[in-house]
Amino acid sequence: MYVCCGLTNHLELARRPDLYGSPVVVGHPGGRGESPINKFEYVIAASEEALQFGVAPGMALRQAEHLCPQATFLPPDPDSAAHLRELISSALYDLAPTVEVRVEGFAWLDVSGVVSAGESIREARRRLRAATGREPRLGLAPGPFSARLAAVRARPGRLVQVDRARTFLAPLSSHELPLDAEQLERLDLLGLRTLGAVAAIGPRELESQLGRAGRHAVLLARGLEPDQLTPWRPPLFTSAHRQFEEPVEDREALLFVSRALCGDLAEELGLRGAGAKHVRVRLMFESAGRAQGALPSAAEQRETIVRHPLSSAAELFGLIGSWVKEWQPRAPITELWIELPVLEGAGRRQLRLWAGGDGNSEEVTAALERLQERWGDHVVHKPRPALLSSPLPAQRFASSLSPSGKGSG
Amino acid sequence: MQEAQLNIAINSIRVRFGSQALTRAAELPPPQPWPSRTPIDRLTGIGGLPHGRLTLLSGNGTCGKLTLALLLLASATREFAHAMVIETRSGFDPWTLLPFYPELSALTVVNAPAPDPAGEAAVALARAGAGFILLMGEIPEHWLGPLESGASRSGTVIVGVVDAPGRAFAHASSLSLGFSRTDWIWERGQLVGLRASARCVKNRVAPPLGETELEIRYPLGTKALSDHRGQVSEIPSIRVEGLECTSAVV
Repeated sequence: MYVCCGLTNHLELARRPDLYGSPVVVGHPGGRGESPINKFEYVIAASEEALQFGVAPGMALRQAEHLCPQATFLPPDPDSAAHLRELISSALYDLAPTVEVRVEGFAWLDVSGVVSAGESIREARRRLRAATGREPRLGLAPGPFSARLAAVRARPGRLVQVDRARTFLAPLSSHELPLDAEQLERLDLLGLRTLGAVAAIGPRELESQLGRAGRHAVLLARGLEPDQLTPWRPPLFTSAHRQFEEPVEDREALLFVSRALCGDLAEELGLRGAGAKHVRVRLMFESAGRAQGALPSAAEQRETIVRHPLSSAAELFGLIGSWVKEWQPRAPITELWIELPVLEGAGRRQLRLWAGGDGNSEEVTAALERLQERWGDHVVHKPRPALLSSPLPAQRFASSLSPSGKGSG
Repeated sequence: MQEAQLNIAINSIRVRFGSQALTRAAELPPPQPWPSRTPIDRLTGIGGLPHGRLTLLSGNGTCGKLTLALLLLASATREFAHAMVIETRSGFDPWTLLPFYPELSALTVVNAPAPDPAGEAAVALARAGAGFILLMGEIPEHWLGPLESGASRSGTVIVGVVDAPGRAFAHASSLSLGFSRTDWIWERGQLVGLRASARCVKNRVAPPLGETELEIRYPLGTKALSDHRGQVSEIPSIRVEGLECTSAVV
């Protein structure tokens, strides 16, 4: 395994790029009418400018206020941070087979086996910078733990590469280990102040002192990387809709909106590397009954399961546009929904990870099948050697008519 | 002097039509190259044929363009999952490919009944992401736009072989190489190959690099076919490289 870690701001901070350059502290807000600072609440994230004043994540918010009174204190917004995390994950999704992004500002990419790892890392740097507004620090190491520590030691926009994790980790402080305060204190009391010292003792010995966390800490300190990345997976459902201010009767307008929605959906599918296996279109009608209450009958829908996943705007609109063109709605349309209830990996998913375009095989086969359906089976053939020494050209090859090469004709 | 005048012309076009109206080829982000390991890699300026672009091999009569295209196709069958030949005249015989050791399992031939289906096939396959497409002739003009955009998105390497390209086909290509035969090669009274000059007549992926001289040897003899490998080699002494050219792409 070879993991690249991109270190950015805590995503709670990244959602306010306008405050870059000034001290910012994110913590829980007080209740209505009270001071925003509450002594029972703690710091979730602090900007680099606030860290210089001694503010640290985990400390009481009131203490942070004493240390850095000029800081801007923000309430956390977990939903926005999670949304940003999803956006970054989907942006990095096509750069490596396994991607994990955490709200704390860590983005890991498992680049082992990637054809052009350097290119993926450069692109990851560019996308992280675009998403967070700041140059990420990058670390490349045999595992997530050492990659994270390497990234912490890199300058913004630069990469620290680690070839031997144990050698790199040995001089670092044992406080880098993911242990609680009490366990870290016990390590100090045991005289284990560097990761090299922790690595030198056996896992069982430290397990007897700290429990399972001790064994885990020794494995980490030895660079054995016991933790695996949790791969991000895109959600398997998406939809887009448009509500019309004035009910629409014009088919051209409906086609125009459909095309725009298909474009939006295709962009989203492209980010996810997914394709739509099931397509559903719903038209909501202007209805007196609907104004009084929900009326399921005030809608018409059409749906189908497609053989090959649709992922581009042209493919989606090719299907949906043909429906809209022949649709005979019974009333003016107030809302148009395009839903893709079943998504699956499209042929072009993570294309750059495939050498020679193998990832497109299904799409290419589907394209050849469509050509055969349209122009006849004889249009496509795969030559197979038969009697190569024959003087008659017709005898030298047997042609397989199946694009996948399974059948022969 | 010439460059100064060209700069003045470029600046006036930019003032008139905006800074994006005209860009120097050297300033464009070059497409990813596919190293074909043939002498023409040197002519492209990026070390290989451009992914997602149309490359044109043209020249009148027997001048080596088809042999080179077959060499590229054989190389593509070994490197890509799908290498396609799109033809309209039923003129492609896979047997002619054998001297170049192709991987036939990756080869698919689309025998289009007319130019229009050929265009449709090229666009569909480029959009689907076929690795390599060899066009054995021109496709209608209205398919060229979708072909360019489809290939650009999927990165398909497209090579067209024509005697003399039409205006639209030539315009759609990003790289155009003109071939002309300079000499036949005779050995012991037998024709064994030819010498050809390959000249880069259009290059939208890098500054043009000039021309090269190729020696193309046909597989001949009474031995089994696999013992004879067709050869396309460069003649280093004649190659002229690094011509000073200044060009712009609108």
